[in-house]
Amino acid sequence: MLSIQHISKKFATVQALNDVSFDVPDGQILGLIGQNGAGKSTTFHSILNFIQFTGQITWHDAPLSTENFDEIGYLPEERSLLPKLTIEQQIVYLARLKGQSAQTTRPQIDDWLKRFNVKGTRRSKIKDLSKGNQQKVQLICTLIHHPKLLILDEPFSGLDPVNADLLKQAIIAAKHDGAAIIFSSHDMEHVTALCDRLVMLRHGEVVLHGTLDDVRNQFGKTQLSVTTDWSATDLAALDHVTQVIPGHTNHYLLHLDDPAAGPAIFDALTHGHYIEEFSQQPPTLDEIFRLKVGEEHD
Amino acid sequence: MTKTWVVMFETYLRQIKTWSFLFMILGPFLMFGLTAGLSYLTADSAKSSQQMAVVSQSTPLRQAYLKSHRDGLNTRITTTNQAKKAVKANHLAGYLVLSVDQQAIRGDFHGTQALSGGQRAQVQNFLSAYQAQTNTAQAKLTAKQQAVLSRTPTLASHISTKSGTANTVKIASFWAFVTLLYIILITYSSITAQEIAADKGTKLMEVIFSSTTATSYFIGKIGGMLLMILTQIAVYLAGGAAAYQWASNSRSFKPLLTSNRPLIDGILHNFLSINLLYLFLGVVIFILLAAYSGALVSKAEDASKAAQPTVMLGMLVFFATFPFQNNLDAIPVKILSYVPFFSSYFMPLRLINGTTNTWEVVISLVILLAAIAVGALMIGKHYQRLMLQNDNRSLWQQLLHRK
Repeated sequence: MLSIQHISKKFATVQALNDVSFDVPDGQILGLIGQNGAGKSTTFHSILNFIQFTGQITWHDAPLSTENFDEIGYLPEERSLLPKLTIEQQIVYLARLKGQSAQTTRPQIDDWLKRFNVKGTRRSKIKDLSKGNQQKVQLICTLIHHPKLLILDEPFSGLDPVNADLLKQAIIAAKHDGAAIIFSSHDMEHVTALCDRLVMLRHGEVVLHGTLDDVRNQFGKTQLSVTTDWSATDLAALDHVTQVIPGHTNHYLLHLDDPAAGPAIFDALTHGHYIEEFSQQPPTLDEIFRLKVGEEHD
Repeated sequence: MTKTWVVMFETYLRQIKTWSFLFMILGPFLMFGLTAGLSYLTADSAKSSQQMAVVSQSTPLRQAYLKSHRDGLNTRITTTNQAKKAVKANHLAGYLVLSVDQQAIRGDFHGTQALSGGQRAQVQNFLSAYQAQTNTAQAKLTAKQQAVLSRTPTLASHISTKSGTANTVKIASFWAFVTLLYIILITYSSITAQEIAADKGTKLMEVIFSSTTATSYFIGKIGGMLLMILTQIAVYLAGGAAAYQWASNSRSFKPLLTSNRPLIDGILHNFLSINLLYLFLGVVIFILLAAYSGALVSKAEDASKAAQPTVMLGMLVFFATFPFQNNLDAIPVKILSYVPFFSSYFMPLRLINGTTNTWEVVISLVILLAAIAVGALMIGKHYQRLMLQNDNRSLWQQLLHRK
């Protein structure tokens, strides 16, 4: 288990991280979310010991150190490879730096290239690959030594939906292998689909932390998804409805200021009327994100 | 240590596979081959047009000249007409007509250019000797009188050691050593600084530093560069040995090598000694500095400027040797032979001059090795911070900072 305990980091006058704590158990995925500059990359850089910080980071109850390098797989936010190398040379080089021999790595390469549907052979030069394929090669470099701690900084950035699915499958496979996985993303759909737990940072502070359900339930069931022949104006006039967002035909998303108002609204909508859909839910992660960011601006 | 080797060989293989390295290695051989080839062709074509013919009505007189001088003569031309035609066709530089008129010997040179000083003296000496021989025969002198007249003054040269071959060896070794070291330093300082600077701020460095320590990576990089240098030196030594072997068996070069054997042996002796270690360590310490310069540039795009500080220091040390080439006993030379960066030039020069002893060499080497070790560790310690650019302090703050 990776354990982050009370870490803080200040750059000149900017408090990049302030008393951040969370755990990532083995075989679980933690999503790190937050706006740009919230402290996600700084957290990763602290884990990787790129920067000096206060607090403690442990891996299986011992301080994370250079001894653990071979267990870590790290994908940086911006991709970068050596353009003059072939795919094989690049993968073998980085795998050897992770302590995996060339003899072990080479036989796996074709399988990984196929798995990620890379358009090129092991002898293709990195510089001749498209940006997307270079990104996939970098992902292979991150995963090929079967890391026990996987740190992915914006892994879905720049990937089309098909390739994003391939990456999701690879992340889930690593989870099933028992890896502790932490990744950052601005796409709440990916976070919702993959994460067991999430941490939201704002100005270097943890503002949300827990399992996905815990976090959503903190906000109560303040959303109503309804399909009705009522007009948006009529819906907005209902008590405790703060916002009406029209969807497809006759579908609306209502925001409530009080979850307890649900039954009364249900009665009002069904009284003498047929209603196709009525569902009361907590807000989505995307909405929670916007809400939290909105709090800051308020 | 294993990861240091991985970085070292990766750096080495990546560099030696470049065209620039291949041209750098083969450049001197290509230049040598081109020069030798052109010289041979030029010499061959110019040979006949630089020759002189000797013609004379008196066969003994002509034979006497040909017997005393063979170089630069075309002996196949025997008549004035043949000679004139050859000169006109630019196959002959000129011809010498020897004649005897009432026991007086005369020489007339006809050519497109005047005789050189050496050729003129040669002809004049022959004419004087032949005239003297003719006069003596005509005077019918006794043997004793002939012996008296044949006396010549003696000029003997007594060359002191300082200005003899030994001194030439020292001067030649001095220039060969400082020039070779300077060329290697300037070349590899630039390559190293650019290699390091090109990595600056790239995200690949984050991946690498999540795999190995900055010190290990840095030492691997430097090791890769040193392997390159060793490769170049090995290729040059092998090429030099092959060229020497070839020249030793070449009809054209063999006399040149034989006559300069003491000089060549002396220079080789000065090179294939502890001076080679100084050369290597000098390259190491300058490369360390170049790597640090590369790590200090603000962005990868500034890679070309990265080598400037090291190149400037290299030039300073190189030019600092000039005033002392004939005064290697001077106090500044003794002091600088202990100062890292300078000692790689100045201690070998003292060794070449024979003005140092074993202890002084050992002390100088220990200081140089200590400077290299401390430098490598210090740079390795700051390398990650410099390369990842995750520090917002200024250059001076970075330089003064101690983690």
